[in-house]
Amino acid sequence: MDELIFKLNNVHFSYLHKYPALCGIDMEISKGEKIAILGANGSGKSTLLQLLDALIFPHKGRVEAFGRELNETDFNAASFCRDFRSKVGLVFQNPDIQLFCSTVKEDILFGPLQLGLDRLRIKQKMDAIVEDLGIADLLERSPHQLSVGEKRKVSIATILIIEPEVILLDEPTAGLDPQTARHIMDIIIEANASGKTIITATHDLHIVEEIADTAYILNRQKQIAKRGPVGELLLDEELLKSHNLTHIHKHRHKDEVHIHPHQHIDHHQH
Amino acid sequence: MRGAFKKNSFIERSLKGVFLVFKDSVLSEEQASYPGFLQSIDPRVKTATFLLLCIAVLIARNIYLLIFLYLFCLSLACVSRVSLRFFIKRTWVFIPLFSLLIAIPALFSFISPGEPLFSFKLFGLGLVITRPGLAGAVLFVARVATSVSLVILLGLTTRHATLLRVLRVFKVPQIFVMVLGMTYRYIYLFTEIVEHTYLAIKSRTGGLIHYKKGQSIVAWSIANLWQRSFKLNEDVYGAMLSRGYTGEPVLLEGFRSSLKDWVWFCSVAIIFVFIILSKIWMS
Ligand SMILES: Nc1ncnc2c1ncn2[C@@H]1O[C@H](COP(=O)(O)OP(=O)(O)OP(=O)(O)O)[C@@H](O)[C@H]1O
Ligand SMILES: [Mg+2]
Repeated sequence: MDELIFKLNNVHFSYLHKYPALCGIDMEISKGEKIAILGANGSGKSTLLQLLDALIFPHKGRVEAFGRELNETDFNAASFCRDFRSKVGLVFQNPDIQLFCSTVKEDILFGPLQLGLDRLRIKQKMDAIVEDLGIADLLERSPHQLSVGEKRKVSIATILIIEPEVILLDEPTAGLDPQTARHIMDIIIEANASGKTIITATHDLHIVEEIADTAYILNRQKQIAKRGPVGELLLDEELLKSHNLTHIHKHRHKDEVHIHPHQHIDHHQH
Repeated sequence: MRGAFKKNSFIERSLKGVFLVFKDSVLSEEQASYPGFLQSIDPRVKTATFLLLCIAVLIARNIYLLIFLYLFCLSLACVSRVSLRFFIKRTWVFIPLFSLLIAIPALFSFISPGEPLFSFKLFGLGLVITRPGLAGAVLFVARVATSVSLVILLGLTTRHATLLRVLRVFKVPQIFVMVLGMTYRYIYLFTEIVEHTYLAIKSRTGGLIHYKKGQSIVAWSIANLWQRSFKLNEDVYGAMLSRGYTGEPVLLEGFRSSLKDWVWFCSVAIIFVFIILSKIWMS
């Protein structure tokens, strides 16, 4: 069996102890896996990712990462904190939260500088990543002035430069044009090919097949409705529909109107 | 309709006026990257010299010395490529805030007794402005104006992350620096949200808001904004933790001081000593 990275056991979390966001989650994620977390709005995807990134801690149940239970007090120890933060990176759903420095360059450098990486190495890595993502001309700009797509790319750059073993992505392609989305997916796939574990929260079924092998579907009760290989789950129309993941599709071929639930697995090869 | 439009531009001014002026005077980092004189000084030396100048302002009891220090500050702004008009406008927005509240009562005889300059009646109260009162108030305003200008000039020509780092170098406790950084970000996010909310209101009402309604929108949003920016600040803090933040500011380039920095330091030190000496001579 592969090396286990995350192990969640009956995890519960609620905001302000009042608004439940996760109710009894069990998960096991191994090194190098590609995981998708699917679910309707408000089903707890973002909360789950923050939990995996140890920004919040379960109120009930346990989260184990790299074979050790995560609890808040351990993060007071500088060495443990640094070790964990350099192994796990989270790309937030809202880039305005992710990007808090006054220039793009400072933002990209923030993580590696905080983690105490070698300065020369940092500069070299930044140049490479910036080149790869095509954001070299944005370096001196303020992140707040960028377009949504540009912000998203910069957000991803801020995490890639840390070279974490596990990359958590929250809706990485939301609001992007197809080509930019494609580019970001390629980067994710490439990162996985080089051995990184990728966990993506999304409700965009277009991208799931490519960026995940295994998918978890969260239901409105904030529990895992189903876990399985992506190929299988995407064929289960009823399941997808009951979790707001498909929509009715209406289009015209040769003057004939088709109405059918949107299925992405066949890529519309009519 | 014209009336409504005018009132609307009043809201625009009050919102934009207060927050955005603050945003681009104190929070903006654009000027910090200009190739000017102060920008080229080692931030540690720069901060130390500005501290000296501020102490000099507090010590100086002579209006001419204060005028000299103020002009010195303006010329520094000039050689640092900070537009003088921009700078003067920005600093004088804050000065009344700080000074008038304290300076005005000091004008009068019940606080500063002495030779009456002129007197008038307000709400049946006989008020007398005294010569020492007036002199004291002028001195006070000059002092506030100069120190506020110095602080803003330092802020304008230095990136805030760098300033925080300097504070750490000067052994200011980490928790203090961390809180300062948080406060800064909080204010930044707050102004950011104000700006967006303003746009959102404008787009929903088509830019024309009736005066009364406009007022209630302003009141509504201020209450709401505190909450929203607080939440956002919390989230941003999470994002910082996620990338390994521990409260210690780290910069890419270390600090390096050159001969130029020491020449600058010595010049300021000479001014400082001169002001101390002049104070001793005069007393
Ligand atoms: N700060 C908060 N305070 C209170 N409740 C919250 C907070 N953040 C999230 N929630 C609640 O927790 C639940 C899960 O939210 P979460 O953001 O994890 O959902 P999500 O699956 O990421 O949704 P989306 O697809 O819209 O991003 C929701 O019911 C939400 O209302
Ligand atoms: Mg979410």
